[in-house]
Amino acid sequence: MVRLSKWLLKEAGTGVNKTLSDILVCPLSKQALRVCEEPPSLISDSIGVSFPIKDGIPCLVPTDGKILDTDDTMKHDNAADDSANNK
Amino acid sequence: MALRLVTKNLSSRISPKLCSASLLHSHATSFGFKEVREEEKSQMVGKVFSNVASNYDLMNDFMSGGLHRLWKDRLVSKLSPFPGMKHLDVAGGTGDVAFRILESVNSIKRRALQDPLNDDLQEETRIYVCDINPNMLDVGKNRALEKGLGEDKSLVWVQGDAEALSFEDNSMDGYTIAFGIRNVTHIEKVLSEAYRVLKRGGRFLCLELSHVDIPVFKELYDFYSFSVIPRLGEIVAGDRESYQYLVESIRRFPPQEKFASMIADAGFQKVEYENLVGGVVAIHSGLKI
Repeated sequence: MVRLSKWLLKEAGTGVNKTLSDILVCPLSKQALRVCEEPPSLISDSIGVSFPIKDGIPCLVPTDGKILDTDDTMKHDNAADDSANNK
Repeated sequence: MALRLVTKNLSSRISPKLCSASLLHSHATSFGFKEVREEEKSQMVGKVFSNVASNYDLMNDFMSGGLHRLWKDRLVSKLSPFPGMKHLDVAGGTGDVAFRILESVNSIKRRALQDPLNDDLQEETRIYVCDINPNMLDVGKNRALEKGLGEDKSLVWVQGDAEALSFEDNSMDGYTIAFGIRNVTHIEKVLSEAYRVLKRGGRFLCLELSHVDIPVFKELYDFYSFSVIPRLGEIVAGDRESYQYLVESIRRFPPQEKFASMIADAGFQKVEYENLVGGVVAIHSGLKI
């Protein structure tokens, strides 16, 4: 029961975050954002920066952005390539 | 209430480049009457609003004798909200303007009860509340919960910088900023971002404390501002300094005509302003054509 409700909350959160990434863009490059589930954040691939989501509120102040080191961006790139290939 | 029309030509008559640049620079480096480094201003303002967030609405009632509610009502009525609209309220932290817009849209829905088209449009309404300060947003979110709007997907809370908005070009039907533009570091960046995110035909509305020129009333207002307000801040909120900043920042902000020409410079047409209470507040508006 507890696991089910935790899963439901997570799914709800995912849904909300996906909606956010549909509407919001990177404050610096004005390009699309990608959702990252853990830790909850919005990634701007165009400039390699991640913006946190705290308590469901996306923090898109430019100075709040965390520069992703190349390992992180490469991992994400590979994941994106894989899912593109699978399609 | 006096209505004045300012055309785009006005700005070209006053020697624009020189006095605009120095005015903007002085706004970017002023924290009330203090001179500060441009990079510092945002942080100092941030501290003020983190301090005042929990008492913000109460202090507004005290300082304006409840009048701020009427001013915000007037702002929203000028917006003419409609179901399905996409609206951005900047520096809207505690939600006052956003809630009013939502209620206005919902009341239109109630009037058109059995209209299925309207129901679908209602689903599409989105009010984005953007504020740079997380404490102010928290207060707003809690107020939304208290009003039973916690689950309402029309309200979207975003922490962001008015000078670098995280919204697409041409995506908003309306843009409001109430009592916020006075606190930004670069007014012209905020105005150009507002222009960018508005759709063609979209409306820019700014409610802000402004300049009083009426003799005698001006002196009374100055006395009230500098002697009463900081003291009220000390007693009610335990924070004299933040309220000292508030009254000083009002005096440093460009007067009505100058601000109107800045709005026109950002590309807006049909720029107008309306003084309320003799200029204590002014509502500036512009249209993106």
